[in-house]
Amino acid sequence: MPTVTIDNIAVEVEQESTILQAARQAGVWIPTLCYHPAVPPAANCRLCLVELDRGNWKQLVTACNYPVRRDITVSVSSEAAVKARRGVMELLLARAPENAQLKALAKRMGVEGTPWPTVTKTQRDCILCGLCTAVCDEVMGRAAIGVAGRGQNRAISAPFRQPAENCLGCGACAAVCPVGTIQIRIHEKEGEIEISPFKTRAKLLKCEQCGAQVVSVAVTEEALKRGKMDWAKFRQLVRLCPKCRQKRAAADLSTVATLASQIGYLAPPRAAAKTKTARRPRAAKSRKK
Amino acid sequence: MTVLETKRLAGPADLEQWRGDLRQAAGRITKRVRICLGPGCVAKGAAALYDRFREAVEKSGADVEIQTKCVGCHGLCACGPIVIVEPGEIFYQQVEEPDVAEIFRETVLSGRLVERLLYQHPVTGQKVKTADEIPFYQSQRRIALAGNGFLDPVMLEDYLRIGGYTALAKALTGMTPEEVLLTVEKSGLRGRGGGGFPTGRKWRSCREAHGQPKYVICNGDEGDPGAFMDRVVMEGNPHAVLEGMILGAYAIGSHDGYIYVRNEYPLSVERLKHAIVQARDAGLLGRNILGTDFSFDIRINRGGGAFVCGESTALMASLEGRPGEPRAKYVHTVEHGLWDKPSNLNNVETWANVPAIINNGAAWFAAIGTAKSKGTKVFSLVGEVVNTGLIEVPMGMTLRQIIFDLGGGVKGGRAFKAVQTGGPSGGCIPARYLDAPVDFDELTKLGSMMGSGGMIVMSEDTCMVNIARYFTHFLMDESCGKCTPCREGLAQMLAILDRITHGDGRPGDVEKLETMAGILEGAALCALGKTAANPVMSTIRYFRAEYDAHILQQRCPAKQCRGLFRYQISVEKCKACGLCRKHCPVEAIAGAKKTPHVIDQQKCTRCGMCLEKCPFDAVLKV
Amino acid sequence: MPDEKIVEEIVRRYDGEIGMLIPMMQDLQAACGYLPVDQLKRLAERLEVPLSRLYAVATFYTSFRLAPKGQHEVTLCVGTVCHLKGAGAISEMIREEFQVEAGGTTADGLFSFQPVNCVGACAVAPVMIVDGKYYDGVSKDSAMKILRGLPLAEAVAGGEGKP
Repeated sequence: MPTVTIDNIAVEVEQESTILQAARQAGVWIPTLCYHPAVPPAANCRLCLVELDRGNWKQLVTACNYPVRRDITVSVSSEAAVKARRGVMELLLARAPENAQLKALAKRMGVEGTPWPTVTKTQRDCILCGLCTAVCDEVMGRAAIGVAGRGQNRAISAPFRQPAENCLGCGACAAVCPVGTIQIRIHEKEGEIEISPFKTRAKLLKCEQCGAQVVSVAVTEEALKRGKMDWAKFRQLVRLCPKCRQKRAAADLSTVATLASQIGYLAPPRAAAKTKTARRPRAAKSRKK
Repeated sequence: MTVLETKRLAGPADLEQWRGDLRQAAGRITKRVRICLGPGCVAKGAAALYDRFREAVEKSGADVEIQTKCVGCHGLCACGPIVIVEPGEIFYQQVEEPDVAEIFRETVLSGRLVERLLYQHPVTGQKVKTADEIPFYQSQRRIALAGNGFLDPVMLEDYLRIGGYTALAKALTGMTPEEVLLTVEKSGLRGRGGGGFPTGRKWRSCREAHGQPKYVICNGDEGDPGAFMDRVVMEGNPHAVLEGMILGAYAIGSHDGYIYVRNEYPLSVERLKHAIVQARDAGLLGRNILGTDFSFDIRINRGGGAFVCGESTALMASLEGRPGEPRAKYVHTVEHGLWDKPSNLNNVETWANVPAIINNGAAWFAAIGTAKSKGTKVFSLVGEVVNTGLIEVPMGMTLRQIIFDLGGGVKGGRAFKAVQTGGPSGGCIPARYLDAPVDFDELTKLGSMMGSGGMIVMSEDTCMVNIARYFTHFLMDESCGKCTPCREGLAQMLAILDRITHGDGRPGDVEKLETMAGILEGAALCALGKTAANPVMSTIRYFRAEYDAHILQQRCPAKQCRGLFRYQISVEKCKACGLCRKHCPVEAIAGAKKTPHVIDQQKCTRCGMCLEKCPFDAVLKV
Repeated sequence: MPDEKIVEEIVRRYDGEIGMLIPMMQDLQAACGYLPVDQLKRLAERLEVPLSRLYAVATFYTSFRLAPKGQHEVTLCVGTVCHLKGAGAISEMIREEFQVEAGGTTADGLFSFQPVNCVGACAVAPVMIVDGKYYDGVSKDSAMKILRGLPLAEAVAGGEGKP
């Protein structure tokens, strides 16, 4: 197992893990924007630059996708690395000067303001990290949105700049957007969820019990297609909002527990324990895009 | 264009037999006319020449067999259309349709020279007969371009006649793959596309990588403005590329090859496709090549119009049917390339060198060039130079020798100012470094690079700030836009350069450009972004005074940037003809009859119409 | 060839290999004159790739056109001198009267309109170039007259001809 010495802290890591993973293990903070554990690293934003010691020269590399294959020494806080990251952030701030999340990240990095004027014209609040398209394609399997254009005209859009026909309305894109550009809007009256700025809309399912708007119809249909499950039971459950679903489950459990205790099998019923879902981060592989 | 029947060769003996037959047949024809159909000559009407000569041959009824041939680019495009007559290798230049009858009658039939169409030696003033006597050709050493000008690119037979596929036969039947690889390693061949990576070392890494299938790829995406070397090889001698690739595939252990040709070269695609079909039919490509158990086939794929696809990972993305976006090279493409498999990518010119290296040996190649840059290099010599065209010279020749001895110096007697080398990733080199030898490393020390071989010569009338702006705009247009520094940084640089060239520069602008260059070099994802600031930085390094004049005085010393220089009418030369006054769109010129006219600088919009219209050259740029 | 068969033929030509997507799209563009939305949708379905992938490729590479070029090419110089002589007003008028954007094509495919920065004929400003022919000193009236007089060829049905 190779050792990564990062800002003088040595950590042993798995072969082919990334410098970013090593840094997290060592407790060293490296800013990121286009990195997300759910998808392979793209290394577009260039914010996670660190300096790799190559003996007689030093190389700036992106931490999120640099694979560790032998013992290496990395500096996060060297002058060159700090300067490079600052340069990248200043360019991003010039592109999206009013973005609150971007400014907050910049502040955490010690970057206040930018010396560059705003010169870009299209989709300014989007920093083109590509996380939304990656999640839509690789996690949700829909590819409803994608990257269009090139260079100055590069933009995130659904085909032909029309609302995407195969958008599920799941909101995964909004969930991963690091700068809050993609927003979900619920239109109560029409019973629709809208993903702005793509202007896609999807119909929402209403809880049969209390009428709350739960989830998009398309998402439930998609979920029904995948995996084995008790259809009848699931169909009943899916028509309830989370609160009502919990009430139903508690009611079911108490019925069973009462019966069990009556026949001497179990202790008297008590409140259902909260289960913790284990989350295993996917091993990051370099994304060939 | 006669299509001879291609027979399938059972093995090397068959090949030699055929070659012998072809040479014998060719030997019987003593009179031959070779018409250059390179891009430059075609643009000047060479295709019609071929038709006229063929008609002349048909009509002549001469008792000697005369053959007309379309051949690939000779290189001296400035003197095109070029026609060469055998026997004697008589070199005729700037031939036009009406000249055909005379050449045919005098030279082909009667062996006499047509003096006025011969090349005139620039120093002695004498007319010379053959290419060997022309300075442009004298110092050249043609390896990649060896076949150009001698063979018809659509005839496999021609390629065989001049020794083509000898290397392939030698390798497949007399050498192991390891021996072929070793030969290329020892030759010192380095990539000719710009990167200069040792070719043998790349082949070896691919050979040793895990995974099947392995891919052998030819990069035909020549995108540098001003460069047309690869085009001329693909169109003038496509079989040389194929043979090189087959040899490489044998050494590496690959059976699948691709040639990626940029969309803007449809003729290259056509010629390569044709050559592939011929090679397959002859058993020189495809299954069981030359009767051995080695199989390798090549397919052609095309670009869609993107300069960035010259970058190897972007090219491979394009070959996978995706946008040509580069990716990190922390894991090399020789390990994980096309379809995640081991892939060896080399440039057209690199492949074209391989057959000669196998034929003549590593030591032969290593004896040419400099210590670290072996062999020759094809350069496109263009811009303000007398002999614009293509040359191939040993590495180590100086810029001065190339531009002045071969190139004939700057056109119109203007002063030399700079030469831009290496395309948009390179930089401008000023006069004081003309004695720098040209190879992979020397020009890099000067802030430029040899790159793929483009050499754009600039005279004193060129504004270097404008050149920097031009390249920055080009790169911004071609950037894939994936990474922050390149996408945002180039737009910022262009905004600054736009202001400077429009007279709106501010103190501190040069420093801003330098800061951005630093960000690009360190933070950009691919070579396009990392080297994008080179044109700007090299012009700042050597022509800082021009930037200062633009910024501090709103003046363009080269008098190229509109609005940053003035027009003035020379009192001595003005004949008061009134043409300028009549054509001035804003009525800024005043003058009575017989009085030198005067431009009102306040009204003048610097459109330049007066200069254009003046028949006495009385309007000066100041 | 009927619309539906074009894509099928092209996919067959390249054995449906996704690596040959760019040549496939180039062949499609050659057959239709540009890349129509419905044909791209067919191609995406046939190749089993998301439409967004084809859209990404079509917008990344400069050789692809998503809209047909007009039958005529109209270039209007809006350089400094032409601008001084009223080219700006002419440009606005063209855009409004023909409902065409800068760089776009009229709805009936009559012409594509491209304002450019200086064609170098400043003495005869304003300058309009139609199909390579220079018209000098144009006014709002004369420009309209020229454009209204452009012949509109019969619409080419299906995929064979280029506009």
